[in-house]
Amino acid sequence: MLFHTWAFVAFFLIVYAGFRLLRGTRAEMPWLLGASYLFYGAWNPLYLVLILYTTSVDYYAVTRMARSRRRGMWLAFSVVNSLLVLGFFKYRHFAAENINLLLDWAGVPLAVPVVNELLPWLTADINSSLAAMGLHYTVPGLGDLPVGISFFTFQSMSYTIDFYRGHCDREPSFIRYATFVSFFPQLVAGPIERSTNLLRQLGQVQPITRTDVADGLSLFLVGLFKKVALADYLAQYVDKVYAVPGNWHAPALVLATFAFSWQIYFDFSGYTDMARGLGRMMGFRLMLNFNNPYLADSLGDFWRRWHISLSTWFRDYVYIPMGGSRRSTWAIYRNMVLTMVISGLWHGAEWGFVIWGLLHAAGRAATRKLEQTSLYRDRVPRPLKQALVFAFVTFAWIFFRARSWSKAWTIIERIFTSGWGDPQFPILAMAMILAIWAYQHAYESRWGRGILELAAVRVAAAIAMAVYLATFIAPGAAQAFIYFQF
Amino acid sequence: MDNKDHHGQEQTGRRAVRGAAGADPTMSLPGLDVRFGSNVVRLSAWQWLVTALLLVLVMSLVPSIWERIEPLEDGADFRIPYELSYDYWLYQRHCRRSAGRGDVLVVGDSVIWGPYVTRQETLPHYLAAATGGCRRFANLGLDGAHPAALAGLVNSYGADIAGCDVILHCNLLWISSPEHDLRKARPAGFNHPALVAQFYPDIPAYDETLSRRIGNVLDRNVTFFAWANHMRASRLGGHDLPTWSLDHPYDNPGLALRPTADVEADKRHHPPLPWSDPSRGIRRQAYDWTDLEQSLQWRFFQATVAALKERGNRVVVVVGPFNEHMMEAESLAVYRRLRDQAAARLRQQGVACCVPPVLPSELYGDASHPLARGYRQLAEWLVRQKEIADLPAGRQVADSVGR
Repeated sequence: MLFHTWAFVAFFLIVYAGFRLLRGTRAEMPWLLGASYLFYGAWNPLYLVLILYTTSVDYYAVTRMARSRRRGMWLAFSVVNSLLVLGFFKYRHFAAENINLLLDWAGVPLAVPVVNELLPWLTADINSSLAAMGLHYTVPGLGDLPVGISFFTFQSMSYTIDFYRGHCDREPSFIRYATFVSFFPQLVAGPIERSTNLLRQLGQVQPITRTDVADGLSLFLVGLFKKVALADYLAQYVDKVYAVPGNWHAPALVLATFAFSWQIYFDFSGYTDMARGLGRMMGFRLMLNFNNPYLADSLGDFWRRWHISLSTWFRDYVYIPMGGSRRSTWAIYRNMVLTMVISGLWHGAEWGFVIWGLLHAAGRAATRKLEQTSLYRDRVPRPLKQALVFAFVTFAWIFFRARSWSKAWTIIERIFTSGWGDPQFPILAMAMILAIWAYQHAYESRWGRGILELAAVRVAAAIAMAVYLATFIAPGAAQAFIYFQF
Repeated sequence: MDNKDHHGQEQTGRRAVRGAAGADPTMSLPGLDVRFGSNVVRLSAWQWLVTALLLVLVMSLVPSIWERIEPLEDGADFRIPYELSYDYWLYQRHCRRSAGRGDVLVVGDSVIWGPYVTRQETLPHYLAAATGGCRRFANLGLDGAHPAALAGLVNSYGADIAGCDVILHCNLLWISSPEHDLRKARPAGFNHPALVAQFYPDIPAYDETLSRRIGNVLDRNVTFFAWANHMRASRLGGHDLPTWSLDHPYDNPGLALRPTADVEADKRHHPPLPWSDPSRGIRRQAYDWTDLEQSLQWRFFQATVAALKERGNRVVVVVGPFNEHMMEAESLAVYRRLRDQAAARLRQQGVACCVPPVLPSELYGDASHPLARGYRQLAEWLVRQKEIADLPAGRQVADSVGR
C-alpha cells in the first residue's frame, strides 16, 4: 500500500478517525498496532511473521537484560539474531555467490549451496495451499526481500543497544514496543526512529493540535509532489537511458546521472516527508531525514544532510563504538571507511552499493582534513564547493543506480568516449529541477527565506502543487519508492 | 560521520521554525532533529482552510471557464474523435450541447459511432437525411461502450440529456460470449473499465486494484478530474505531462495546452469492405450466447434504459440489426430467440422498441457494424416506424417524411 494511492488515503482516513476517537484510551496502542500490521500485511501477510519474530526477540532480550547481570550476552543475542535475520533474507545469495567465485578462483573444488527457499519442500507446500485458497501470496524466498526489513531491523536493534547503554528505559508494554517497531508511516522506508524519540512519544498522550494537523498536511503535500511530480517523472528518463546505456551518447548519460541524483533525492525525501506528515497528523514528531543535501559544501556536510536517520544510526552504533574520531589518524580513517562500506552494503547485496560506499569513504578520507582548513572554509566560494560536492555525489550515484561494476563502467566510459548526441532531456524536467534548486538556495538565504515565508507565497505554492498533481499527473501511475527495495 | 552539530545557518532556521510553531516538546532531544522540515511550505490551519476554499473554487471554475474558451466544432455529424473515446468530459459537453439544441440523441456503442464510415455516413447522419434535414440527430455513440460502460456513461456524464428524445441502440454482441458479458475475464481486459460499476454489482471480469476503483469513482464524480483527463487525452496524446514531455523534450507544454477544437479527421477507421470480402478473412461464427436472465450486460442495459426514463427521456430502443449472415445456423437460432426476448421484455416494461430487419450481407463490415449503405437503409426503415414517429421530435420527422 503506497502512500500516494487512493487505497492508502481510504486506509488512513479510517485509521485516523479511529485513532482520534481512541486517543488516550487503552485501545489506542492496539489500534495503532493493528493498523500498522494491516498496512504491512497488505504487501504479504507472511511478512508479519518476520516482524513479529524480530519484535518479540528484541523485546525478550531487553526484558532479560533488565533482570540479568549478563547484559552483554543478551545484547549480543539480540544483535546477532537481528543480523542473522537480515543476513539470511538479504545477503545469503550474495555471500554464497561470492564465496563460490573465490573458491573457484582459488581452485578449491567446493561450492556453497545457494538455497533458494528456506525449506524448499515446505514453502512449496505452503505456496500451493495459499494458491488453492485463492491467495496470491508466497512465502518470502530469496528473490523476495521483505519490504522494509533493513529499516525495522535497525530500529529494533537501536532499542536494545540504547537500553544496554542506559540511554532509555525498558518499555513495559509489548504492544507499545511492537507499535514502535512497526509504526506504519515510517515502517517500510524510515526515518529509522530511536526509542528515545518515537517510543517515548508513544508512551505520552500529547494533545493533537491544529498545528499538528496543518503541519502534517503541509509535509504530506510537499512529499507527494516530490514523489509523484518529480521523482517519478525523472525516473522515466533515467530508466530509459540506464536500461541500455550503450545506445546513448555522453550528454544523455551525463543528464541521466544528473537526473538520478535528483530522482533518488525526491523519491526518498518525498517518502520521508509523507511519513513525517502522517506521523505529525497523529501528534508524533518523526526525525528530520533530509536537509537539502545538494546544498552541502563538503562531503561531511552532505552526510549530515542525507538520510540523517541512517547516517546518525551508523555514527552512534558503528562509528563511535569503533572509536570514532578519538583515535589515531589511521584508526579514524579505518573507522570511516568501514562505516561507509557497511552503509553501502546496508542498501543491498550488490557490488555496486559496496563501490558506492567505498567511493564515499575515499571521498571523505581525502577531504576530511581539507574541509577543516581555513583555506577551504573561508576562501573557496560556497557555490564552487557545493558544485564540487554535487558532482562527486552524482558520480558515485552511477554505481548505486547501475548496480554492477560492468554497467557502471560502460556508462563512465561512454561519458568520455561516445561524443555528442541529442540527449532528448525534457526542458520541463530541467526547469523543474532548477526551480527546486533555486528554492533551496532561497530557503537558506536570509532575503529568500523572507519571501518564501510570506503567507501568500506558501498558499500559492500549495495550490500550485495540488492543481499540478490533479491536472497533469495520470491517476493510477503510482510507482513504488526506490528505498522500499532496501 | 563526525559528531558535529549542524552549522550555524541551520540553527538559525530551527529557531525561526520554532518561533513559528510555538514550543516544541521534543525539540530538545539529544542528537535528534525533529523540526518541521527543510522547506517553508508550512501552512497554518487557517491557511489550509483558505487553500482548500481556493482549491474548491479553482476546481469548480476551471472546467466551466475552459468550456467557454475551448471551441467545440460540433456541427452536423459531429462525433467524438476516435482518439478521444476515453474523454468523457468531451462526451459530456457534446451531450450538453446536443440536448440544448433539442437534437434527437442517438446513443450507443461503435455501431452508432461508425468505424467503417465517415462522419457523413453514420446512422445519425442518414436519419437526419431521411427526414429532409428538418431535425438534427446527434451522434452520441462511443467506441467500445458496452452496456456496463454505457450505464456508467449515462449515469455519470449524461445528466444533461434529461428530457430529450433518445434512440438507444441495443447491441446483442455484448452477450455473445461469457467474456463479452464480463462474466469471464479476458487477458486484454475490456473497454472503458472506468465507466463500469466499481464496487457493486460485482463484475467477475473486472480485476482492478482498490486504488484504481476509488480513483475511478472520484473521476466520475468530480468534474475537475474529468476535465483534467480531457486535457491529457486531447492535448497531451493521452499521456500525463511528464510522459508527454519525454516524447516532446524541446516543445513548450504551454503551447500544447492551448484551447483548440477537437475535430476528428474525416476518415474511416476500418476499410469499408464487407465482412465477406476474401481479403478480410472473416468466417462464419458460432457464438456462446448468454441467456438474458444470467447476463450482466443485459442487466446493465436495462439499468441504462431505466436511468434514461427516470430522467424524463423518451426512449426508443433499436435492437440490432446484428449480422445474421455471419452466424452458424445454431447460433442464429439462439440469437433470434434472444433478440425477440429482449424486445418483448422491453415492451413489457413500457419501453418503445424497434427490431430492424437484417440488412443484406454485403452491407455489413463485421458481426454488428453496417457499412454506409447499410446505415442508410437502416435509417430509412427507422424513420418509418411508429415508435420513432411517436416521439415528439419524431412527429416532426414523420411530418417531414410525409411532406
